[in-house]
Amino acid sequence: MTAIAQSTTPRTSRSVPRFRLGGVGMSALSLTLGVLAWELVGRVFALPFFPPFTVVVGTLMEMIGRGDIVGNLAVSLSNLVAGFTISLVIGIVVGTAMGRYWRVRAALGVYVYALLTAPSLVFAPIFFSIFGAGQGSIIAVVVMYSTFVMIINTASAVQNVPAAMLEMGRSYGASEWQLVTRVIVPAALPTMLAGIRLGMGRAVLGMINGEMFIAVTGLGRLVTQAGKSFDGAAVLAVLIVIIVVALGAVGLVQMVDRALTGWVPDTSKEKS
Amino acid sequence: MIEINQLTKTFTSQDGTPVHALGGVDLTVNDNEFLTLLGPSGCGKTTMLKMIAGLQGWDGGTITIDGKAVTGPGPDRSMVFQNFALLPWATVMDNVCFGLRLRGTERRAREERAQELIEMVGLSGFESKRPGELSGGMQQRVGIARALAVDPQILLMDEPFGAVDEQTRRLLQEELLSIWERNRLTVVFVTHSMEEAVLLGDRVVLMSARPGQISEIVEVPLARPRSSDVGGLERSREYTEITAHLWDQLRSMHSEHRAVEAVR
Ligand SMILES: Nc1ncnc2c1ncn2[C@@H]1O[C@H](COP(=O)(O)OP(=O)(O)OP(=O)(O)O)[C@@H](O)[C@H]1O
Ligand SMILES: [Mg+2]
Repeated sequence: MTAIAQSTTPRTSRSVPRFRLGGVGMSALSLTLGVLAWELVGRVFALPFFPPFTVVVGTLMEMIGRGDIVGNLAVSLSNLVAGFTISLVIGIVVGTAMGRYWRVRAALGVYVYALLTAPSLVFAPIFFSIFGAGQGSIIAVVVMYSTFVMIINTASAVQNVPAAMLEMGRSYGASEWQLVTRVIVPAALPTMLAGIRLGMGRAVLGMINGEMFIAVTGLGRLVTQAGKSFDGAAVLAVLIVIIVVALGAVGLVQMVDRALTGWVPDTSKEKS
Repeated sequence: MIEINQLTKTFTSQDGTPVHALGGVDLTVNDNEFLTLLGPSGCGKTTMLKMIAGLQGWDGGTITIDGKAVTGPGPDRSMVFQNFALLPWATVMDNVCFGLRLRGTERRAREERAQELIEMVGLSGFESKRPGELSGGMQQRVGIARALAVDPQILLMDEPFGAVDEQTRRLLQEELLSIWERNRLTVVFVTHSMEEAVLLGDRVVLMSARPGQISEIVEVPLARPRSSDVGGLERSREYTEITAHLWDQLRSMHSEHRAVEAVR
């Protein structure tokens, strides 16, 4: 996901003789080939759950016409926004505290790593029993999916702020709060944003999985319904919408990233 | 006046062995004096400077400034770092404003003050550039402007020109002299270069290798102001003699050190 979003930036200007392709061009070419392959495989093999691209797009148009998509999309997006916002705040606050204070790191590290690797959907029944079968549970699942990767990334970003910079801040009499807000967080931001991008990807995943599991609202329910009625075209149609949402969400983080970290030299950015 | 008394410090290195960094340093820095600190690598120059800055604790002894014990950083001191330590995301203006902003100086006042200093160090027109767009020499000019913006009485400089090329270094030395001739702050300036120590300092403090101690203090009788005729000074007999003397001392320290290492 990261790679797709990143490649939309025409960053490399090194020219290949005669034939030059920017990042956007490359992505477009790759997408076109993918769609062509899809169409071809769909037509040649005529698999029941893999209809050709054109059929799926037709189904998608029908669903949009019936009003199936827009309402559910709005619900899904609101789940995503709410869950991701909560995760972002927790990620930044807890991550910064863990990166800065070894006691906090020692106390929370175990939990954060455990929960990062735990299959997040395991917790869905618990949320279900706490928040009921509604948006609350889905938002909780989104939070579960996306928070921990952001915490860990933020913590390591904060830990890696050069000691010389902290020393400089202290030499001008910075208080702890000033040090965190004026030196540490801005210095850690580029690395933090890499984690936030991952967190966004996982938030979309959490949204869909949560909605499929709890199946009362959103795009996830749509997929589940279509799957139950063996409607392969509808499943793939919703999948297209989900992919568009995911790319849009990650692209948004990318835009924020570029706006906030324009100061990072290109050479060091390309490595990340 | 900075008074340092019997200052000692032992670090514990990563493998647990003690590193005897400072072994009882006594030193007095007079008001408005330009003091340069010279010594072999690892003799504790940076450590001592950080202690004066209030950034580093010590084991034994005292440091007082105008009779008051140093317990932490203070508005009377500011530091210039070898690797500039600028905020890479902030503009030249914001970097120079950094200290004033922490102190809550109101925006108009701090930008006015910063502008004066940006002009003083010759960076007019670069206010909205970021450090990454500047050369090393220009970055250190920002570092100096930032340090002066808070109106310190004491300027602590740790090899400030160690990371710039020779030509830029000479220009910066002249500029620092002319700034100091106008402002006359107390400066403690750490360097590896005998020439730099003599050219800038009223006195050169020579430190010996671990444990760091003051081995000699050399008065520099060169007339001030010096910024107008640096070339002439460098050809003068006093200058040549003092630098030669300092090198003799340093060389013997180095060979002694090597002998000690060999015995171990
Ligand atoms: N935080 C620390 N932990 C352990 N040892 C340290 C620490 N800081 C400094 N030292 C040691 O103390 C000694 C003095 O260090 P210091 O940096 O003050 O030397 P210096 O005179 O500034 O050297 P240089 O000229 O190379 O900058 C060195 O041997 C160094 O390894
Ligand atoms: Mg040093």
